[in-house]
Amino acid sequence: MAQVPLYGVKTHAQKVCSLYKRALRNLEAYYDRRNVYRYQAVLLRDRFDKNAKVTDMRKAVELLKEGEEELFLTQHPIPRAFPTSQGGVAHARVVTPPDWVIDYWHPLEKAHFPEYFKRREQRKKEFIAMWEKEHGPAEKKEEKH
Amino acid sequence: MAAATIARSALKGLLRSSTTVRTPVVCRLSTVALQQKFRSINAALKTYNTQYHQNGVQRTQQYTTGGHHKPSPQEIEERVLKVCKAYDKLSCVKLSVDCHFINDLGLDSLDHVEVIMAMEDEFGFEIPDGDAERLVRPKDIIQYIADKEDIYE
Repeated sequence: MAQVPLYGVKTHAQKVCSLYKRALRNLEAYYDRRNVYRYQAVLLRDRFDKNAKVTDMRKAVELLKEGEEELFLTQHPIPRAFPTSQGGVAHARVVTPPDWVIDYWHPLEKAHFPEYFKRREQRKKEFIAMWEKEHGPAEKKEEKH
Repeated sequence: MAAATIARSALKGLLRSSTTVRTPVVCRLSTVALQQKFRSINAALKTYNTQYHQNGVQRTQQYTTGGHHKPSPQEIEERVLKVCKAYDKLSCVKLSVDCHFINDLGLDSLDHVEVIMAMEDEFGFEIPDGDAERLVRPKDIIQYIADKEDIYE
């Protein structure tokens, strides 16, 4: 089980990095002039660096909590977002249907592309053979009703 | 006819009547105009060059209309290394694709966050925190971006 990462559980360092990134993006939303933003970013970096050497975990957690609180209170009303990320203008604009949808085409539709589907069936067989070679034969499902 | 003679007499003071003397004057006027035109063209070219050839790499602007240009793997590598070099703590170190940001180049984790943010700005999409902490070499970043944009050799 050691290889399986625990989703949603973050170390303290990861939390600090995440806070730093969100704080920088928040500054970017406030200051659109690049030189002004860089100045504010350097000041922010200095505040993080001052507390980088805190070894007392209790105090570090307290500082992180204060930082999150401050970010929440100073967050921009209209945060900037990349077009394709959550909240962006092009988020989920293009929906690419998953590959398995093609398997459910009507046979008459499939008949329009005979060569493609011939090769596709061949590839599916090869993939199943590869999978069975790696993980052993697939278990037979018991029929249950 | 009378008006023409008046005009001719008025111009006589400016332009000499003989054609041999008149030609150099006209020539000089035209060269001045040409020179001014050249100067304005040169100035425009200079601004174009400084705008589009930053750090010796040509910047190609993409428009929302028209075909989407997919960068080649070499182009991605060029851009990733350009962004790394533009970061102030990496501007004077020997950069290669296989350098580890934290172990080899001596960055700390906050610097690494800043580098990843610069990559996001360059390529225009968000890199989640969970993926970002695995992108510890320029090579990984190049591979990640190529996977994202569906680019292969």
